[in-house]
Amino acid sequence: MHGGDEQHETAMEPGFEFIRPRFEAPKFPMHQVWGYVASLVLTFGALWMTVNRIMNPSVLLGVVLAMAVAQAALQLGVFMHVRESRGPAWHLVPLGMAFAIGIGLVGMSVWIMMFKSGVS
Amino acid sequence: MSSHALDGKAKASHQELPPEFQDQEESIKITGFWLFIVTDVLIFASLFATYAVLVNRVAAGPTPAQVFQLNTALIETLILLTSSFTIGIAIWAMRQNRQRMVSWWLALTVLLGMAFVSIELVEFAGDVAVGWGWHTSAFLSSFFLLVAAHGTHVTMGIIWAVALLFQLRRRGLTTVTRRKLYTFSLYWHFLDIMWVFIFTVVYLGGRLI
Repeated sequence: MHGGDEQHETAMEPGFEFIRPRFEAPKFPMHQVWGYVASLVLTFGALWMTVNRIMNPSVLLGVVLAMAVAQAALQLGVFMHVRESRGPAWHLVPLGMAFAIGIGLVGMSVWIMMFKSGVS
Repeated sequence: MSSHALDGKAKASHQELPPEFQDQEESIKITGFWLFIVTDVLIFASLFATYAVLVNRVAAGPTPAQVFQLNTALIETLILLTSSFTIGIAIWAMRQNRQRMVSWWLALTVLLGMAFVSIELVEFAGDVAVGWGWHTSAFLSSFFLLVAAHGTHVTMGIIWAVALLFQLRRRGLTTVTRRKLYTFSLYWHFLDIMWVFIFTVVYLGGRLI
């Protein structure tokens, strides 16, 4: 919008727009309030769906997991200010890789143990 | 020192940065803390993988549905979500340079953290008292390992936050205490994310599998 930002934008190489740092300093912490309300809604929503078993349990497990991922994104975005950085927000790269490896680790462990081998 | 920019082009916008990012050394420490969180994500991922694989190995012990009380888990979740909100407000107040407000919200976060750990310990003690210890089955081993790893993190966070409260009183909002508050908030929110997954996978999942 103003001079400083424009200068910063030109400093970013094309294709690296996702690590451009962002800062916000509002007069009232509205984001935090909404983030809190949204996390409560997601928690109670997941709990209500589980207690009432509104669908096939294995499908429901996928749904509540997706809601947990949404809550994680909410925490990262609203509370952890994940894009705040002095220069380009390079920490987003290893963080994304860690989540990818983590999902792979859990997913593939579950997947491999589904085979009826000697252990299973 | 603090006016030293990473590169000339970005210099103008550095002047608008919060103090903990304006100072190059402190900002590097924040990046370093993100890398610690990266390693902790991997630790928790391996504990989740272990749990997911062993959850049905109940041996002669209880099943997940028998062990878990959703009420307790819900209260723990609400406490932790609220504490994540209170530390978020503390960081917002820090950016507004309101030191007293930062201390109060941080103190509230500590109290909520203590309530969480206490409830968890009572839950664990109750399980062990009826003979459902970590040696009962592979399922309970992986359960206690995963959930207690999180609880230990929260306990460390409480000690850290209490130390920060004292530092804040003695030194006020300096560049260093701001950076420490900022990294503490990252740690605390990260633990909240891990708990949301524990609540979903362990407690809600226990009802679904």
